[in-house]
Amino acid sequence: MQVPAELRYSTDHEWVAVTGTRARVGITDYAQDALGDVVYVQTPSMGAAVSAGDSFGEVESTKSVSDVYAPVSGTVVAVNDALAEHPELVNSAPYEGGWLCEIELSDATELDGLLDASGYQALIEG
Amino acid sequence: MTVQYSPLDAVHRALGAKMVPFGGWEMPVAYPLGTIDEHLACRNHAVIFDVSHLGTVHVDGADALDRLQWAMTNDLTKIGPGRAQYTHLLDEQDGSVLDDIIVWWIDEESYDVMPNASNTARVRQAIGGMDTTHERAVLAVQGPQAIDVVNAATGDLGDVGRFRVRRATWEGVPVTVAGTGYTGERGVEIAVPAAHAADLWQAVVGAGAQPAGLGARDTLRLEAALPLHGHELGPGISPLQAGLGWVVAWGKDEFRGRDALVAERQRGVSRVLRGITTDGRRPPRAECPVTIDGQPVGSVTSGNFSPVLEHGIALAFLPPGVEVGTDVAVDVRGSTLSGRVVPTPFVAKR
Repeated sequence: MQVPAELRYSTDHEWVAVTGTRARVGITDYAQDALGDVVYVQTPSMGAAVSAGDSFGEVESTKSVSDVYAPVSGTVVAVNDALAEHPELVNSAPYEGGWLCEIELSDATELDGLLDASGYQALIEG
Repeated sequence: MTVQYSPLDAVHRALGAKMVPFGGWEMPVAYPLGTIDEHLACRNHAVIFDVSHLGTVHVDGADALDRLQWAMTNDLTKIGPGRAQYTHLLDEQDGSVLDDIIVWWIDEESYDVMPNASNTARVRQAIGGMDTTHERAVLAVQGPQAIDVVNAATGDLGDVGRFRVRRATWEGVPVTVAGTGYTGERGVEIAVPAAHAADLWQAVVGAGAQPAGLGARDTLRLEAALPLHGHELGPGISPLQAGLGWVVAWGKDEFRGRDALVAERQRGVSRVLRGITTDGRRPPRAECPVTIDGQPVGSVTSGNFSPVLEHGIALAFLPPGVEVGTDVAVDVRGSTLSGRVVPTPFVAKR
């Protein structure tokens, strides 16, 4: 299971990549593997104000549906439109083409509450 | 209840299958290529499923036919030795379907009755016989090339007609082969002694069948609009509601649940199982409410994304008389999917 060292992770199995005040968000390799083949992604709405812990999207596979929780608070400033036609990117490239959205951070200190790669690795091995 | 394992358990784990609990068994839901790849391989080529979790109750003797005729809805005298029949075991009181079953009529006074995994004990209670589930594995090879692949692997085990059953020998091992399945494709199901199951599996995989799990089995049967016990059939659901009146042999004077079913036929069914397609990729799911013109009319029993059609499909109980083409809406956790009533199967059977 891939857990890239440069990312931050939530206990709900989302990853966060921070560039300046923007956080790109997706679901982890572990999460996509547990879900199985993804057939539909309800991406968060552009412009939505989200609080950390809010359910703000859904990922649906052939066997189940899973909520996506905002790992940080802020405003959704970009969504990955490619997922509408190619939701399987969440399976094939969870940390790259399968990203879900970008959030303009309202409180950068929330990042300190996320797990680092070794912390997340410990969580999924637990 | 202790978890039961297939004779092929180690084979699945070695292939990297994801194992899940199902009807008291731990079975593969998907292999690393995933459900959609497996599904399309079945529609286009050939796949192999381990369906050892299906029960086998062996019934034989001079009175076996009478016992089965009394217990089940269908009429075995319409077929004969060497053939298979789909049938139902009903609740005596309300005529609902306790189990849906394939009977392999093997020879004159010998039958293998195959219930769903979790119903084996209940079916054995109704018909007697011997539970031989753990003596064998059952491999289902399905797809347009399934029979060719089985023959390439084994010589001629694939030579069995649709809904025909025969005993055969493979590498000195006694097997039973049936032209049955649960995908809407041509194919065969092979019962093989447990100790030889892995060898037969490897031979058929070696000849080109792709391993497929219960995930693909479910999306395939849904495209073919085949019922799944616990969803389209079960307590409170009669064969008439499920659109399976053809499974009921009204000409038989007596069978378990007949009176209740006759009464339902006379008063008319309150709901009927129908097919619905929905726009877009989002899967409708079991228990999602269905509305027509904003009025609640029923609910989904099974729904998913159709890998062949690339949109949502669902089976749902609706009031009788809703015409094909009627617009419906399916409420998926607060989002509305627009759809319409369509004829089934969703994907043509072969």
